[in-house]
Amino acid sequence: MADLRKENFDKSEFEFVQADKKLYDKKLETKPIGYFRDAMSRFVRNKTNLVASSVLFIVILLSIFVPIFSTKNSDLLEERLSFLPPRIPLLEDIGFADGTKKLVDQPADPLNIDPETGLALPMTTAPEYIILETLENYYKECTEKDEYCVGGENQLMIDRKTDKVAVRSSAWVSFNKMMESKVILEVAEVPSENNSRVQLFLGPIMNEYILIYEITEPGTYTIDPWVEVETLSAIFNAKLQIAYTSEDSTTKASIKSIEVTSNNPDIVANNFYADGYKLSQFALIAEDGYAGTWVRAYGQRLMASYRYDKYSEVFGERTVLAFSAKEYDALMIEYADVCVQSPDPDNPDGWLLSEGCPIVKVIKQNESVFVAGVEYYSYNLVLDYQIYMGYDEMPYFLFGTDQAGRDMVKLIWIGLRTSLLIGLIVAFINITIGIVYGAISGYYGGQVDIIMERFAEIVGRIPWLVTLSIFIALIGPGIETLIYVMVVSGWIGVASVTRTQFYRYKGREYVLASRTLGAKDGRLIFRHILPNGIGTIITSSILMIPALIFTEATLSYLGFGIGHGQSFNILGIKMSGVSIGVLLSDGRNQLRQNPHLTLYPSLIISILMITFNMFGNALRDAFNPALRGSE
Amino acid sequence: MLALLTYDLLMTKYIIIRTLWIMIIISIILTLNFTLLKLAPEYPPTTKEEKTIYYARQVSDGYMTERIEANPLVMNSLARNEITPGRNVYFKNENTRYRIYEPISIAKQYISWVTNIVTDWNWGYSTRVQVNVPVFDVLKDRMVVTLKLNLIALFFYIPIGFTLGIIAALKKNSFTDNVISLGVMIFISIPSFVMMTLLLMLFGYTLEWLPTQFPSADLTGSIQFTGLILPVLGLSFGSIAGLTRVTRAELTEVLTSEFLLLARTKGLTRNQAVIRHAMRNSMVPLVPSIIGSFVSLLSGSVIIEMIYGVPGTGRVYIRALTKNSYDYNLILGTTAFYTIIGLFAVLLVDLSYGIVDPRIRMGARK
Repeated sequence: MADLRKENFDKSEFEFVQADKKLYDKKLETKPIGYFRDAMSRFVRNKTNLVASSVLFIVILLSIFVPIFSTKNSDLLEERLSFLPPRIPLLEDIGFADGTKKLVDQPADPLNIDPETGLALPMTTAPEYIILETLENYYKECTEKDEYCVGGENQLMIDRKTDKVAVRSSAWVSFNKMMESKVILEVAEVPSENNSRVQLFLGPIMNEYILIYEITEPGTYTIDPWVEVETLSAIFNAKLQIAYTSEDSTTKASIKSIEVTSNNPDIVANNFYADGYKLSQFALIAEDGYAGTWVRAYGQRLMASYRYDKYSEVFGERTVLAFSAKEYDALMIEYADVCVQSPDPDNPDGWLLSEGCPIVKVIKQNESVFVAGVEYYSYNLVLDYQIYMGYDEMPYFLFGTDQAGRDMVKLIWIGLRTSLLIGLIVAFINITIGIVYGAISGYYGGQVDIIMERFAEIVGRIPWLVTLSIFIALIGPGIETLIYVMVVSGWIGVASVTRTQFYRYKGREYVLASRTLGAKDGRLIFRHILPNGIGTIITSSILMIPALIFTEATLSYLGFGIGHGQSFNILGIKMSGVSIGVLLSDGRNQLRQNPHLTLYPSLIISILMITFNMFGNALRDAFNPALRGSE
Repeated sequence: MLALLTYDLLMTKYIIIRTLWIMIIISIILTLNFTLLKLAPEYPPTTKEEKTIYYARQVSDGYMTERIEANPLVMNSLARNEITPGRNVYFKNENTRYRIYEPISIAKQYISWVTNIVTDWNWGYSTRVQVNVPVFDVLKDRMVVTLKLNLIALFFYIPIGFTLGIIAALKKNSFTDNVISLGVMIFISIPSFVMMTLLLMLFGYTLEWLPTQFPSADLTGSIQFTGLILPVLGLSFGSIAGLTRVTRAELTEVLTSEFLLLARTKGLTRNQAVIRHAMRNSMVPLVPSIIGSFVSLLSGSVIIEMIYGVPGTGRVYIRALTKNSYDYNLILGTTAFYTIIGLFAVLLVDLSYGIVDPRIRMGARK
């Protein structure tokens, strides 16, 4: 560098280069870079896109290999394995995805109290698999007429046609003047207008129900029958009848409780109490112009929420009644080396089996039935489901199972494979149509081009709802409709890119040269122009695949695409009818109870879409740097 | 003066041509839809009274002819299925005679259909969803719901998308820009129904902050507001990402242009140059893209409506497309609604481009 700054050069320092030697082309000092290498170098420069592309690659590999190598069930109905929550090794140790399931709003039995925690246990699930630390009790409002829905009110509603409604106890209560029998009626609501009254009747006395008292305002009333109606005899038996009458049939009265007391609380027949559920069992009367409904309101139900160990329940021991002898014998042969019988000291009818046998013990052999001379019988026995289902240890279902007990991991990858294949196949169809259409339109130009452009515009403007409804009506939901809907407007983008490429290259000298040599249109199109533009066309169409997967998932989710139980052959590739959209559609009604059905397919399809889009963008940017950043 | 006149004339011509072209597309699409749906087997109402009303109306609206068959021989063979009736033919047994309803040719039905719409605004009657109710009556309240939801989403996502796009463009290649671009990539990729389901699961079921169903109209109070949050979010995420990307691209391009350099050379501060020159210029092509995005928003709302139980046109469309219980008139009405709104948006885009970019207006094709 220092030399360059020298200003006064002496003439003798210069000499002519070509004075006495020939000049040849010098060899390039750097390696020449081809089109693809150049694109590749641009592609790897962006690290984010590189990561995304690797993830995409892994996802695609998984979708190919998981369905092949996974041994878990993906097509049979295994009712017992239905809705197993996810269970993932390592993560389960920190309490996440540990195979337990949060259950809420399970009705609890107030009489079945867990001795350790003092909390009521739920009625719906087996208590031994409840994780007691997470058990919580709370009350929830209920309107059912059952014994666990306690407290609250019962409402008398009048039918539109009439002006009164009544209910009556089924029990008889003894009234005794000497024992100071009194009726305590608690009324929670009675309208003050329209001459609305709650009435208390007692009867039948001489085949008649006698009006004892009328209530027009809410409150607790203690009623002495002999004070209200002096003609009553000192001792009588009666049923209780509560009536509500009003001129406005849209109103209602609400009763909280009714009680009959006496000065001797030990005599059962003289004491009666009904509220909540018991009150709701009073029968509606449908005679004497009474008509209406008797509705339960503001009741409280004891509920439990807890985590439940689904896996231990499913793979634990369970008593099975009427287990067929044929299957028993088959199991005995299969597990001959581990199933050793020994007598059961507690149960002379049955016998025990040794450790490691799918059958823990036999309770008894049921009576035989002879059908056409063949003897049929069965056992009542206790099964160890883990061994019975062929698992050496409790299995891990990483993403849980669906309603039919199929492994979600396998289903998701099978679904992804289907989605990808459909995407690829339809993309291939679209690109083919698009290239042919765009080539003709771009190559010939002029009137042909204008007409074809207009046609493409019209087709492209058809909303997908219109296309969908036409194909659904004419063909019905299924794979064909799916493909048609995706093809109808899918080729237009490719056609327009192809057309632009043809406009770019068709005037080039080499095309002219070839034409001069007598090349036909087909040769010019396919041998000279298309190969030059194909890179651009393909790279800009690669983003079509995620878009098609998107459409497929949407349509299948809506139920217009493929579905469970279907299978089809396309170009020799056999596909099942499960796709990500189908799986998400399965999970739609299980959002609260089984969120794993939605969560994992959503995550996987999101990862696929994100990485595919990034890969497509990176590829396009690498091959056509001019398009970088647009869109 | 002359130039101004020419400008006006050209503009008018441009508007007329574009409007006519859009009208042509609309009528082609509707005609296609009508004709192809008429080729499919019909699903008339199911109960007898409804059928009677339906077929009587089909005759009076000019889609079918009615004749009486009293010849006992023909009646017998009809009863014994010896004569296979034509497609979509219905015969009503009136003891002593048969009343036979036959569809007329599709071309004639088409003329009746157009006449009914143009003269009476009669889009036919629903056959399955709300039996024998005029299609327009079924749809009119739902249209309001759908449009309301979409407009709210539109006014929600535009400011957010703009802001994010502007921030990303101004801080190009910084950490903020990278985060925004990654977010854009993620939200543009995740299908809207997946997004909606995840949102619903998180905020509706797990956290229980928001209602899990669209609140019915007779509920009052804050639930009407909270019920809008999820569908608006579900609709907006993709649109926000799209708008951010377009804004960023446009603004980046303008920021590197020469007139901005000139503005800076004249002595404007960076802020002045960006706000007065760059923003204005980048906003212009964004307006059409927003109108365009409204269309995709609208068709995307079909699935959101279904997931969230929004009583809009999308949900009724899905119901009308229930397998083997297709309600063609309702399908036609709904798709017409989406087609017309969509294509008018396209027209608006074309016209706004025409106003913005004189080259397009002047009729230069290539």
